[in-house]
Amino acid sequence: MKGKARLLLAAIIIPLGLIIAAVPENTTKQYKLTPEQMLEEVNGGTQFIHPDEVANMLIQKDPTLQLIDVRSADEYEKFSLPNSINIPLVDILNPQWSDYINQDLKLNVFYSNGTNDANQAWMITRQLGYQNNYVLQGGVNYWAETIMNPEAPAEGSPNEEIIKYNLRKGAGMALGGEAVNAAPATVSKSAKPPITKRKKKKAVQGGC
Amino acid sequence: MKVKKYMNPYLGGALLGIVLVIAFWVSGRGLGASGAAKSAIVAGVKTIAPSHVENTAYYKDYVASHPKPLKSWLVFEMLGVVVGGFLSGAISGRLKFQVEKSPKITNKTRITFAVLGGILFGFGSQLGRGCTSGSALTGMAVLSVGGFITMASIFATAFALAYFARKLWI
Amino acid sequence: MGPLIVNEIISENANMLFAFLIGIGFGYILEANGFSSSRRLAGMFYGYDTTVLKVFFTAAVVGALGLLFLSLFGQIDLNFIYINPTYLYSAIGGGVIMGAGFILGGYCPGTSFCAASIGKIDAMAFIGGIFIGILVFTEGFPLWEEFYNAKFLGAPVLNEVIGTSRGVLTLGIILVALAMFWVGEWAEKKFARDDYTINQK
Repeated sequence: MKGKARLLLAAIIIPLGLIIAAVPENTTKQYKLTPEQMLEEVNGGTQFIHPDEVANMLIQKDPTLQLIDVRSADEYEKFSLPNSINIPLVDILNPQWSDYINQDLKLNVFYSNGTNDANQAWMITRQLGYQNNYVLQGGVNYWAETIMNPEAPAEGSPNEEIIKYNLRKGAGMALGGEAVNAAPATVSKSAKPPITKRKKKKAVQGGC
Repeated sequence: MKVKKYMNPYLGGALLGIVLVIAFWVSGRGLGASGAAKSAIVAGVKTIAPSHVENTAYYKDYVASHPKPLKSWLVFEMLGVVVGGFLSGAISGRLKFQVEKSPKITNKTRITFAVLGGILFGFGSQLGRGCTSGSALTGMAVLSVGGFITMASIFATAFALAYFARKLWI
Repeated sequence: MGPLIVNEIISENANMLFAFLIGIGFGYILEANGFSSSRRLAGMFYGYDTTVLKVFFTAAVVGALGLLFLSLFGQIDLNFIYINPTYLYSAIGGGVIMGAGFILGGYCPGTSFCAASIGKIDAMAFIGGIFIGILVFTEGFPLWEEFYNAKFLGAPVLNEVIGTSRGVLTLGIILVALAMFWVGEWAEKKFARDDYTINQK
């Protein structure tokens, strides 16, 4: 009986061992989010950063900001935001960029003309479990509207509107938009978005 | 009640392996035993002599990393072991207060050596960062070098000393 | 998917519940295989009962295979499972002391709790010893702290050390284990004892 059990065990585990020895190891990282979680994040719009915040950080020369242009190299040549780097969307998984997009020091902001491409870049990195990646709300188009060519508020607008306008105009000037003779930009300090550090997965503790 | 036979060892081993895999799949860790005893010791010392815990680096570090020593995975797992062992014993008719020993030695000798063995095992498990289940079995399943070393040392030493301890068992 | 706790699929408290359930399975299997019997455990070292060897290595092999297959099908991320670190000297030193404890006491910690649960008085004595031993270790920690932390090698896995894949190493372990089982069954016949029956299916 016992001898038979041993042979039965051998008949099961040797083939399994051969299979596992023959197949390549599964080294792909697991997707960290379920589709439901992803949908929730997309709906919540937590990935968006408003152009005002980005402009503010640019003016303050915040070293933690890293703008990433996910459009094609051609478009990047024609126009790009200050201090941005170009990682075309098709190229985002290229290992040469992984140091840029997989890190937890800087605040990466993806941008494209609209938000589609930047959002796609963000979804890819999010699924890979990378941190601190965000999307410029409205993309370059909205940036041009709000920062470069801000629309003057109507007479008698509430104060905040005027402050915002001055700020944008100042930012636009500082960042190379059309020079408008506006009040000097008084940049509020509080607008800096916090770098939200997502909880890092901790390997399990063991010990007998 | 008639005492039932033990399980076939290969079937038993396969089932134990499956439990081990479940532990990894659920909790990301393997089985263990001596860690639970350590948690109990630290919790005990903390209750009886809190100032001693404050003044001893080892306890202090342990309490700092395990604020509630008894709320640990291994403590719950070992409670389960006691329940599971009891269930199996009850089903198979093996529940009985007894001292198990070779017919050639007295109960007193057996108990003395059991305590001595326990002291050595308790000490060794702390030094080796895990016992047979935690370090050797689990370590081997994850192919950890430490697991193989500990396993080899335990079994080699036991084999080497078996001759001198033979009166205890045969 | 797995490990569930790392991916925050279950809560910390649920993890404790699972620990308890897993423990029940562990204890049940240990007892059902006779790990609650010190003479059976010690028999391994005299050849008259090699159940420990069979159960232990079958479990390790099945565990290794199970992890690799789960990983293959993307069900578990092996990066997040705990691999015990290797401190060379204390691993050997601890192992030697544990080996001595094993042959004198007849149990290891897990099996002693299991044996105590069915009323083995020697196992209860052994557990008492474990507590004393741990207390000695923690109280005298500064004395062996240096030895305890010497020769830290990180958390290496054997297949990387010998330069092969996990799968190939596992296959190797399977073959070694089956060879040992064969020797074990041979030994059980050769060293069989009149005052001891193995009594298993």
